[in-house]
Amino acid sequence: MHFSEDDLREALKRKDPGEGFTQRTLIRVNQARVNQASAEGTAHPATKKVNGKFLTWWMQRPAWAMAVVAMLLLAFGIGGYQYSEYRHAEEMRIARAKQQQLQQEAERARDQAIMALEIARAKMNHVLQHAQLQAEPNDKIRRERL
Amino acid sequence: MEQPAAFEDDRLKMALTRSVAGDTQAFTDLVREHQGMVFSIAYHFLQDRSLAEDLAQEVFLELFQSIDRIQSPEHLTYWLRKVTSNRCIDQGRKKHRRREMALEEAPEPATASAHVDPMLLERLQQSLAVLPEKQRLVVIMRFQEGLGPAEIAEVLEMPVNTVKSTLHRSLADLRKGLTRKIREVRYAFF
Repeated sequence: MHFSEDDLREALKRKDPGEGFTQRTLIRVNQARVNQASAEGTAHPATKKVNGKFLTWWMQRPAWAMAVVAMLLLAFGIGGYQYSEYRHAEEMRIARAKQQQLQQEAERARDQAIMALEIARAKMNHVLQHAQLQAEPNDKIRRERL
Repeated sequence: MEQPAAFEDDRLKMALTRSVAGDTQAFTDLVREHQGMVFSIAYHFLQDRSLAEDLAQEVFLELFQSIDRIQSPEHLTYWLRKVTSNRCIDQGRKKHRRREMALEEAPEPATASAHVDPMLLERLQQSLAVLPEKQRLVVIMRFQEGLGPAEIAEVLEMPVNTVKSTLHRSLADLRKGLTRKIREVRYAFF
């Protein structure tokens, strides 16, 4: 069976929605106007209008909304991972610095101990030399008596 | 013939200006003027009178809320076609399963003029109902609204070449669908 473009035009001829359509539409419009007026009484008009449009836009595009949510989750996940990595690196750096500081203090203490021993040894040598010098004339006298 | 068209245009301009100023009667005139177009696009797309009426009312409600953005009667017609098409696609997505049932659910019988076969019109409508959404809209815009490919491309936000190829494919699908239906009828009888 063949059909012409005129047949298609005939099949798709504009249809009248019926007598009451205009009235029903206007009732709905008026109802919306009343609802809007009562809503505007509670919220700031500009904010309300913007929010309404924004929400409607997103509600009409669920795939976009899902994509944005997925992107945000991914961004938060990556951000969280990066932050935990940063925290770990920072903790490691602080621990290393503390250990290095302890090591430096230990080395300083060792050097001080070595220096104290050096001083003590020098003092002891000095005392010993004095003692030997005092002992030397007594030895000469003893040898002469013999 | 120029006089009534110019008069009509002035009348619509006036109604639009008054509607923007908040005149309900002028808005009623605009609804009356365009309700056939909006309802028919929705009806031919959805093949359901109550759904089409509901959708058309929503479109006019949106028009009421955005009337201050409409610049001219031509812009109004373009805006209504565009919003109705978008809402039809949204509605079609919500009622995705309807497409599988569309063949069984016979649409309202076509009111044919004397020289056109009413059975052919009914079958054309049934075949149209099973076309994919975009193809259906392109066919409706072409044969109900009488738009050219460039205008359809603008309303449906598609490249002109895509509109042309979609239209070509849709007509081929309609012919195929119609032939298949005739075969089904033959098998049923013989």
